[in-house]
Amino acid sequence: MFLTRSEYDRGVNTFSPEGRLFQVEYAIEAIKLGSTAIGISTSEGVVLAVEKRITSPLMEPTTIEKIVEVDKHIGCAFSGLMADSRTMIDRARVECQNHWFVYNENMSVESCAQAVSNLAIQFGDSDDDGAAMSRPFGVAILFAGIDEKGPQLYHMDPSGTFVQFDAKAIGSGSEGAQQSLQEVYHRSMTLEEATTAALTILKQVMEEKLNSSNVEVMTMTPKNLFHMFTKEQVEEALTNVFPAEHPTPIKVNKQKV
Amino acid sequence: MFSAPPFWENGPAPGNFYNFPNLQPQVQQPQDFRQHSQSPVTTSTSLVGITYDKGILVAGDLLASYGSLARYRNCPRIVKINENIILGASGDYADFQYVKDFVEQKVISEECLDDGLALKPKSLYCWLTRILYNRRSKMDPLWNNFIVAGIQDGQPFLGTVDKHGTAYADKVICTGYGAHIATPLLRDSLDKNPQLNLAEAKALIEKCLEVLYYRDARSYPKYQLGIIDVEQGVSIEGPLEVPQKWEIAYHSKRF
Amino acid sequence: MSLAIRPYYPDYSTVPTQHHFNPYADNGGSIVAIAGNDFVIIGADTRLSAGFSIYTREQNKLFSLSGTTVLGCSGCWCDTLTLTRILKSRMQMYQQEHNKVMSTEACAQMLSTMLYYKRFFPYYISNVLVGLDNEGKGCVYSYDPIGHCEKATYRAGGSAGALLQPLLDNQIGQKNMLNVKPESVTKERALSIIKDVFISAAERDIYTGDSISINIITKDGITQETFELRKD
Repeated sequence: MFLTRSEYDRGVNTFSPEGRLFQVEYAIEAIKLGSTAIGISTSEGVVLAVEKRITSPLMEPTTIEKIVEVDKHIGCAFSGLMADSRTMIDRARVECQNHWFVYNENMSVESCAQAVSNLAIQFGDSDDDGAAMSRPFGVAILFAGIDEKGPQLYHMDPSGTFVQFDAKAIGSGSEGAQQSLQEVYHRSMTLEEATTAALTILKQVMEEKLNSSNVEVMTMTPKNLFHMFTKEQVEEALTNVFPAEHPTPIKVNKQKV
Repeated sequence: MFSAPPFWENGPAPGNFYNFPNLQPQVQQPQDFRQHSQSPVTTSTSLVGITYDKGILVAGDLLASYGSLARYRNCPRIVKINENIILGASGDYADFQYVKDFVEQKVISEECLDDGLALKPKSLYCWLTRILYNRRSKMDPLWNNFIVAGIQDGQPFLGTVDKHGTAYADKVICTGYGAHIATPLLRDSLDKNPQLNLAEAKALIEKCLEVLYYRDARSYPKYQLGIIDVEQGVSIEGPLEVPQKWEIAYHSKRF
Repeated sequence: MSLAIRPYYPDYSTVPTQHHFNPYADNGGSIVAIAGNDFVIIGADTRLSAGFSIYTREQNKLFSLSGTTVLGCSGCWCDTLTLTRILKSRMQMYQQEHNKVMSTEACAQMLSTMLYYKRFFPYYISNVLVGLDNEGKGCVYSYDPIGHCEKATYRAGGSAGALLQPLLDNQIGQKNMLNVKPESVTKERALSIIKDVFISAAERDIYTGDSISINIITKDGITQETFELRKD
C-alpha cells in the first residue's frame, strides 16, 4: 500500500491502481490542518462561525478574514490554505456579478458553488497559454446564501465536489464538531439557537479560549442578507455560550494582554 | 478697417507645384481588395420552384452570363444531392460550384459512415443558412440564392436561402426576376387549384419559363427541370426547350 | 471657369468602381403586444418581404422561449433566424446549468446583453419580448437593435410600429382622452384591439399584411390564434 502510494501520488492526474487520486486526497488532508469553520442552515437563515488562530499577541486579529461576502446574498467561510481561497473568492464574485449582469437576478447558491467547482477541478489542465494549475486548491469552502429556495448551506472540498448540508463543520476540529452538530441540529432551530450552537461547538474544539477577537460570525438572513457580526455583537452572542461565566470573554482577553 | 485679401489664396505650399483643380485624374486605389472583389461575376438568372401534390419541381435555365454577355450556355445549376434532395442555385456560378463541391463532399463523408442515414432537406437548408449567414457576417458573401427541394417525412419541402442567410420555406419560391414575374403566376394558379398534379405543375413551370424568356434579358431558352416526387424519387430532366411564340410580338406596337 | 465644374460620367470614370455589399436587409413585419394583470398577448403579421417582393405570406415571427415567454421579431430576417437560434440554445443552457426555467425578467435582461454584445455589428431587429413575471403579471419589453430595453404594458414594433403606437397610446394608454377613468385592459379587449390595429396597419404599410399569428399567454400556458389580413 505504501509502495503504490509513493508511486502514484505525484501526478495530479494519475490514478492509482485502486482508482484514487492521491494528490486530491492529500489536498483534502490539508484542510484538516486549517482552522475550524462551522455553518448551520435554519429556516430563518444561515449562520457561519469561524475560528481565527491568533498565533502571536502581536498579530492584528482583524486582518484575518475567514468569512467573506461574495454577493449580497452569498457569503463564504474557508478553511485551509487561505491564499488559495482568494482565487476562488474572485471567481465566485465574478460569476455572481456576471449572472446579475446577464440575467438581472441573483445567482443561486448552487450555481455559485458549481461555478467555483469548475475552477477547482482545473488542476492539471493547461489552457491556451500553456499555463497549468499544478495542484488542487487546498481549501474547503462553506457557501451560505439565500436564493429563491430559501436559506442554503453548501460545502465544497478541494476535489470540487459540492454538497448541500443542514449543518457542516470543516477544518481541524471538524470531526468532533460534525458529531456535535448532528446531536444539536434540528429542523425547527432558530437562527439565534444556531449561532449559539455554532459558537458552543467551536468553543469545544478550539485549543484557545473563545473570545470576541478569535472568532468571526456571519449571518445570512432574507431580511439583512450578508451580515458580519461586529465585535459587540460577537460579545453579545458569546454571553449565551458562557452563561455562568463572568467576567465576559472580552475581559479575559484584556487580562491576557 | 478692410484688410486686403490674402495674396495667393488656395495656392501651393512653398516649394510645391500648383495643381489645377480637377485637371489631374485623382486615381484612388480601392481600399479593401477583398471587399472590392465581392460582386457576382459569372451569373445565372432566375430559378422557379413549385410544390405539387406529391412533390416539387425546380427549373432553371442553363445560361451563365458575364454581365450582359451570354457567356456559357451549358451550365447546369440544378443538382441532385442525394435520394431526397435537389439543390438549385442562381447568382454567381463560381460560388455555386464551391458550395456544390462542399455539399457533395459532405454527402460522400456521410455515405462513408454507412449507417443508412442520409442528409435531410431541412438539415441542408439550415446548414446552408448558417454558411451563408456566416459569410455575410464576414462581409464576404457567397453571392447566391439557393433553393433546397426535398422530401422529408413523406412531405415535400421547398426552401430558399439568399446571400444574407435569409431563409424561408413556402409552396412557391422563385429567385431573381422570377420572384417578380413567375411568383405571381404560380401563386395565382396555386390559389385556384391548391392540389396540382405533376402534369399541371410541369405545364405551369413551362409557362413561367416562357414568360421569363420573353422579359428577362439574361434568360435562355434551354433549361433543366428537377423533379422530386414522394413516389418516384429524384430526377433531373433536360436540357429542355422553352416554348416560344414570337408571332405575338407583332401585336405589340413597340416591337 | 469651365475647368472647375466637370460632370461625373460613370462609364468614363478612371476610379475603380467600389461595389458595396450591404449585409442588412429589411424584411418588414410588425409586432404588437399588450399586457394585462394576468395575461399578455402578442401578435405578429406573417408577411416576409423585401422591397416590393413578398417572399412568403406565412412566416411565423413569434418564438416561444419558455412556457411563459414569447419573443416577437421583425426587421432583418437573417439576423432574426440567428438571434432566435442562439436564444433558444441559451435558454437550454441556462435550464441545464441552473436547474430552472429562465424567468421572463432574466430573459429580458439576457436579450439586452446579447444585443449589446453586437453593438458594432448589430442584429437589425425590432424585438418585443412578452411574458408573465414571477407574480403571474403580464409584461412587455421592447428593444432597439443595440440592446436598449424598456418595460411597458403595451408596445408596437416593426415596420408599422410608428403607425400603431399612437393608436395603442390612445386606446390602451387612454392618452389624450377626457373624462375617462383609468382601467386595466381585459383579455378580450386586448385581442380585439390587436386585430383592429393590424387591419389598419395592413391598409397603410406594404410590409404588413397577409395574416397575423397571435399568442395569448396566461398561467395556463400559451394559446395560438391566427387572423386573416388583406393580402395585396
